[in-house]
Amino acid sequence: MAGQIKSMIETIIQKRSHGNSTIALTTKAKFVLKGVNPDRFDLRSPDDPAVLAKIKAIAAEMGVSL
Amino acid sequence: MSITTAYSTKDLPDAVADLKGQCGDSKPRVVIFFASSKYDPGDLSRQMLAAFPEARVAGCSTAGEIVGNSMLSQSVVAMFLGGETVGRAASAVVENLRCHVSVGDAFSKMEEQLGAPVSSLDIERYVGFVLADGLSGSEETLMEKIGDRADIFFVGGSAGDDLKFQSTHVMLDGKSYSNAAVLLILELKRGFDIVKTQSFRASGKTLVATKVDESNRLVVEFDDKPALDAYAQVLGVSPEEAPTQFFKHPLGLMVDGDPFVRSPQRVADRGIHFYCQIKEGMELQLLEATGIVTQTREAMEARKATGEPISGIIDFQCILRTLQLRAENQCDRYGAIFAGIPTAGFSTYGEAYLGHLNQTSTVLVFR
Repeated sequence: MAGQIKSMIETIIQKRSHGNSTIALTTKAKFVLKGVNPDRFDLRSPDDPAVLAKIKAIAAEMGVSL
Repeated sequence: MSITTAYSTKDLPDAVADLKGQCGDSKPRVVIFFASSKYDPGDLSRQMLAAFPEARVAGCSTAGEIVGNSMLSQSVVAMFLGGETVGRAASAVVENLRCHVSVGDAFSKMEEQLGAPVSSLDIERYVGFVLADGLSGSEETLMEKIGDRADIFFVGGSAGDDLKFQSTHVMLDGKSYSNAAVLLILELKRGFDIVKTQSFRASGKTLVATKVDESNRLVVEFDDKPALDAYAQVLGVSPEEAPTQFFKHPLGLMVDGDPFVRSPQRVADRGIHFYCQIKEGMELQLLEATGIVTQTREAMEARKATGEPISGIIDFQCILRTLQLRAENQCDRYGAIFAGIPTAGFSTYGEAYLGHLNQTSTVLVFR
């Protein structure tokens, strides 16, 4: 399977920003500062369980349900 | 009242009386002050509240102060914000940073004062300040927890102690704290902008942190090699020479082409301690120094070119930048960038903007 990481990151940014482009950009920056660079993943990226777990943890920290 | 500033180099209690005198009959809603470590923080905080009892009064100790177009030391500087500028305001202290960073209680207190969840605040009208103990080593976690809860921008800096590295203090409403951070949220009626400027450009050369001791801000390995060797290799110098390049060649965590600077501090058994945490797996770019004055001026000119008014500025400037400006005798040229604008600020032990930064100025521009 592939693409889950990108899709989850996009969902978190979307839910957190509610369409506000500034918040979308700062949320992306917060991902980078937490050690996950959204630009390094696309829909072909393999579903690495360790990265998926990290994304789920970030979602919980940010109060976003996936 | 419009935004005004004041400073004093006197000792306590005359220094506070001096600030009060410069403020005149105005009734500020918020007073933000930055003070040399020569002042006893408990006495200073108490006297500042006594002088401005109707205001919310927040500040911290510094490694140098900024006011108007001057870079000072052994002084206290203050910015006074009146009702024309500030609407609702809230403040709280986060204590025990070194043990366990938890911002929940502080946010609850501020939400009670604001009458609204922080997550609901308009990001174009509300701004957060964070002043943290600069020796707590916990600013990254603090900023992360703040960012998890808030979409509004928090800017600020880590308190200093005039390069003694013994104890730093944050102050709020008559009390002083160590191992703590002061949070302040202000509704700015005319809005604001944030200018983040660092005098570096990306070199295109990258390093990936492959082994780290995050809590000690130590990178053990880059690219599966001892960190010092890998850093020296991308720089094209010997490992022995590499530490002499730390200042001019920090690393940048790149966000859409914008570097979030991580500055190397010292070598430890071929690992490198930084002034800021680097997480395992992070890819960083080697940065190349440009001119502090030139780049800061360009950043401020770009802001001025938007045509939005500037009624005041708070400059949270890295002490490493201040030291470089002093060494190059450039403080006057730097100060001239802000000439004619009510400006206050201080030399920090780290800057805050989305995260914890090094060798950067985070500048809050009041419209």
